[in-house]
Amino acid sequence: MSLVGAIGNDVLTLAAEAASTASGSGPGWMAAVPLLPLLASALCGLCLAGRIRSKLPAAIVVLSIAAAFAVTLFGFLGRADGAQVITIFEWIGLSWGSGPGETLSADFGFYMDGLSWLWMLFVTGLGSLIALYASEYMSGDKGYARFFAAFALFVFAMACLVMGDNLVLLYLGWEGVGLCSYLLIGYFYKRPAAVAAAKKAFIVNRIGDLGLAIGVFLTFVTFGTVEYDELFRMIDEGVAANGQPLEELWQTWTIPLLLMVGAFGKSAQLPLYVWLPDAMEGPTPVSALIHAATMVTAGVYLVARMFPLFVYDGVPHYALNTIAWVGTLTALFSATIGMAQFDIKRIMAYSTVSQLGYMFAGLGFLTTTGAAFHVFTHAFFKATLFLCCGAVMHGFAGQLDLRRLSGLIHMKGWLIVSLAMLVGCLNLAGFPLITAGYFSKDMILSQAFTTPDSIVPYSSLMGWILLITAGLTAYYTFRVFFRVFVGPVEYEPGDEVHDHGHDDHDTHDEHGHDHGFHPHAPGWAINTVLAVLAIASFAAIGTYFVDKDHHGWVGGLLHDSSAAYHAPAHEHHAAAPELKHGGVMLTAADDHGHAADEHAASHEAGHDDHGGAHAEAGTLFGQDPHAVMYYVSAAFGIVGIFIAWLLHYAGRKTAAKSKADLLLPFLGPIPTWAQNKWYVDELYDILFRGPLWLISHLFHIIDRLLVDGIVDGVGGIPRALARSLRVGQSGILQNYAVGMAGGLGVLLLIAWILTVAG
Amino acid sequence: MMAPVLAQASEELLTNPTLFHYLFVSTIMFSIGVIGFLTRRNMIIMFLCTEMMFQAAGIALVAFSRYHLNHSGEVFVIFVLTIAAAEAALALALVVLLFRRRESLDAAAWAEMKG
Amino acid sequence: MEALINPILFYLCLVIGGLGVSLALPRRHVSPQVLGAMLAATAFGAIFLLLGLSTYQGNPADLPGIYFYVFALIAIGASLRVISHPRPVYSALYFILTILSSSVLYLMLGAEFMAFSLIIIYAGAILITYLFVIMLATQAPQESDVGALSEYDAFSREPMIATCLGFVLLAVLSGLIATGLTGGRHHLPLQPAAEARLDLTNEMPRKVIRELDGRGFFSKVSYDSGSGVPFTRPEIADIEVTDGVLFLDVDDPAAARHVMLDEGGRITEIIGAGAPGANTVSGDDRIPVRIPASAMPSNIDGVGYALVAEHPMALELAGVILLMALLGAVVLARKQIELTEDEKAARARTLGASMSGGSS
Repeated sequence: MSLVGAIGNDVLTLAAEAASTASGSGPGWMAAVPLLPLLASALCGLCLAGRIRSKLPAAIVVLSIAAAFAVTLFGFLGRADGAQVITIFEWIGLSWGSGPGETLSADFGFYMDGLSWLWMLFVTGLGSLIALYASEYMSGDKGYARFFAAFALFVFAMACLVMGDNLVLLYLGWEGVGLCSYLLIGYFYKRPAAVAAAKKAFIVNRIGDLGLAIGVFLTFVTFGTVEYDELFRMIDEGVAANGQPLEELWQTWTIPLLLMVGAFGKSAQLPLYVWLPDAMEGPTPVSALIHAATMVTAGVYLVARMFPLFVYDGVPHYALNTIAWVGTLTALFSATIGMAQFDIKRIMAYSTVSQLGYMFAGLGFLTTTGAAFHVFTHAFFKATLFLCCGAVMHGFAGQLDLRRLSGLIHMKGWLIVSLAMLVGCLNLAGFPLITAGYFSKDMILSQAFTTPDSIVPYSSLMGWILLITAGLTAYYTFRVFFRVFVGPVEYEPGDEVHDHGHDDHDTHDEHGHDHGFHPHAPGWAINTVLAVLAIASFAAIGTYFVDKDHHGWVGGLLHDSSAAYHAPAHEHHAAAPELKHGGVMLTAADDHGHAADEHAASHEAGHDDHGGAHAEAGTLFGQDPHAVMYYVSAAFGIVGIFIAWLLHYAGRKTAAKSKADLLLPFLGPIPTWAQNKWYVDELYDILFRGPLWLISHLFHIIDRLLVDGIVDGVGGIPRALARSLRVGQSGILQNYAVGMAGGLGVLLLIAWILTVAG
Repeated sequence: MMAPVLAQASEELLTNPTLFHYLFVSTIMFSIGVIGFLTRRNMIIMFLCTEMMFQAAGIALVAFSRYHLNHSGEVFVIFVLTIAAAEAALALALVVLLFRRRESLDAAAWAEMKG
Repeated sequence: MEALINPILFYLCLVIGGLGVSLALPRRHVSPQVLGAMLAATAFGAIFLLLGLSTYQGNPADLPGIYFYVFALIAIGASLRVISHPRPVYSALYFILTILSSSVLYLMLGAEFMAFSLIIIYAGAILITYLFVIMLATQAPQESDVGALSEYDAFSREPMIATCLGFVLLAVLSGLIATGLTGGRHHLPLQPAAEARLDLTNEMPRKVIRELDGRGFFSKVSYDSGSGVPFTRPEIADIEVTDGVLFLDVDDPAAARHVMLDEGGRITEIIGAGAPGANTVSGDDRIPVRIPASAMPSNIDGVGYALVAEHPMALELAGVILLMALLGAVVLARKQIELTEDEKAARARTLGASMSGGSS
């Protein structure tokens, strides 16, 4: 804590001492978690430079990420209660004074609490699995080493983002994952669409990152520190660096808004979601890891990490309410788009956006546990789904159109893929009781009805929207499954025929179709990974039942972190109105601030670990939402699956046609609009790109005419001068001599006049 | 023994004009040199005119030397002579070279060397 | 300027002179050279007449020397002829005349050494080189056959413009000299040249002693016959000129000397005792002596001393420049004409034809 001591402010020092006693310092070998992937990335770079064509880069990366996972797991099992601060080395230490806010200190250090442990576990765990998958998926590609270098770099950046003990390190990781995302979306850089998608992702993320950057600056200006430990202490005490109470500061509610903008950019929420569907131009493992499981949840992580500030009482919760609404609308909006798409990977992309909307809605309803649990389950089943899509794409030469694929489960070698897909789809659709997605989604949905309107206005309305969205989700998820994986066997290859795919399958011709193309069934690596992930998706249910006190293992973790919203916005309102702000759960928070019975009561209430008191809590059908929601959401999910079965499976004879087409005349232009993504890209073109294009061309013209004109004009003056003087350059000696003599005369005349005058 | 005798004679028999008289002579001669350099087209004559300007400068230098009773002025005339000799050597060598090429001494014949 | 010469008259003369010069320059068709020369001569003559009158203040002794006017006019007339004569050879010869007359001006300024070196180097060497090159580069013209002249010699370029420019330059220059540089003091009489060199005698004691010996300065030295001391010439350790008086430092401060003194109290001669008019001075090791005229440093002494003692570096550089010019002239003059390919082929053909013709 030497860095905090350097601040030299008594109050802060006291706070720091308190913090240092509260949070234990963890083991330094946790540094291996980010540094191993970084080393692997550097080694891949060397492989790239050395033009190594073997699978060495994949081996390096898989092993390094697996090792990072092992280290994380080891650290997790041996963790102490509460937040641990692990300082590896001093990174930034600027001091321009001794007062508060005049020292910027950001170490390369980790802030390990339940939130970071959870995230790191699935980042490294999924990362190693997906790297293994990619080792087969990407084989034969020329950019093999480049892919794995960026992949490992991503894990490093994600680790910095999640583990960092200050906002600056988080920002480094934030930009690092953005960069890796850019590099990997644009991985097939010879494809214009990939390059455009990469640029789009990068630029849209810039908008969000601007918000995050300003938020971080403002945080530093307000609190004089960027370190979580210090920050949470100050929020807990309710005073800013200059001693003013936080209630009186406008920053208290603007910082969450700015951070929210950053989160929206990274997590693809309205209106910044447009980059994520296009990001599917990247290799599928990238889509699975970065654009489904991990990076896009960074926004959720950010909000959860800074939750104490978001829920700070005494100032309006604009940010939280906005998050709730934006999450809800994003969920609905992208689900409607997903319903009308034909590219299965793109459907998965929209479903990701939709599920991220759920998570944000959960954050908005104050259930960080629900959001984090959904992140956790979603990471597994969405990775599964994407990897299945990837396997299909890999096997059918880039074919992803659900109208051109059918009955995969009946093909040889596709059973595991199909079953894994089924597991993923069940999870995504929220099939009751047996899937983890069901429980995690329910946690959010029920909280929507529980959270009183005094905190989140119209939360029930949002709950209904989310319920409908759940039905839609079930429909479009199983639309994919029923169209592609079951039904009559039929396929058409895509346009990316893999060279190596042919030789293996020349002999067995059972699917002999046209073009002489043979599907390329996935190998052991893909199958293993899919099996493991599918099992993990199921196994994730188990975590729900582990820690009943906190509504699941994830809840227990979150309870132990900064995301734990403890208080009781309503519970304590009645009892202790003078409580100004949401207490931050630090270690041993249970011992102060809550009576044990209140705590226990709140836990009995069901999903809500936030002490949702029943007195003011909302109801659903006159019942406790937590109990009713099991049935309601199950009904919505099953109805959605049933409709999908009806429209897309029952009686379907070919891949291209289904009964859903019969509905088209009744729906008018809506399906077309939805298929065209509600013309959002076009709208943005008109609203932003068009004016920007106009402005930039206007400036281009100004630059050409005015700036260049001035510059060229300045350059043209000597030229014009020279042109006029060139007449004198006759080459006749005497003409020059005339100039000399005349000049001499003029000089002498001047001298004469000067001397006479002087 | 001639020089001192003449000098004494000029001192005793003739009342020397003032500094201005010599400077006027020098000025006029210089201007005539300039006019000659500007008007004549024969390169040799042009060089002669430059020599004439040197000469005018020499008269002025000697007059100033006498006026200030300082022999450095005359020493400068020696240097002027040196430069004139060097110039004559080089310039005439050039003129010979150019004349061989063009069979002409007209300075305008080399106008294309304006570059 | 007014004190020297009426500016209106002066500029009028300049205008007339300019007109004359421009007329005197060779022209293509009608060439009124004689008229121009007369106009120019009138103008310059008038200027010099005015200049002379300006210094005449009733006393004939104040009238500047007639030789100055004569030679100044010769110099200017000759230089006019240099630029106006259509034949380069005559130009060069007139330039020699200019140099000769200006060397007379040098003489009048007391610069004998420069005057004669001018004649030797300029007139003798440089101008002969010019003449040589002129002969080399132009064919000998027939007498007064203008048509035989080279086109570039026969008429001049833009005589009016050049003359205007030249005379504007002249007007400005003379105006500047007359009023600007001197701060309005117009009568700047030249000092006697000998005065300048008196201090120089300090630098050349041996010459002074040699001259004194040569004039028998010490020859009559004898001692008082009464004392019976035999005669010896005193050794002169050093000389010193202070305020125009030469002091000899002698190594025998004898008791008394019998000397002849001039009106300034300076010793003109040391004579034997008892000579008529002899003064006896008491013994001193510093003897004031009147410098004999022959012992006075000459112009050559002054120039040589200034050259070697005050400007040795410039002297060396001048030598280097001359050497470089020599080398440059050699390099330039030995350059051969580059033949074009066609010319080479033509020569080879003629050579081959003559050889084959010779063999067959």
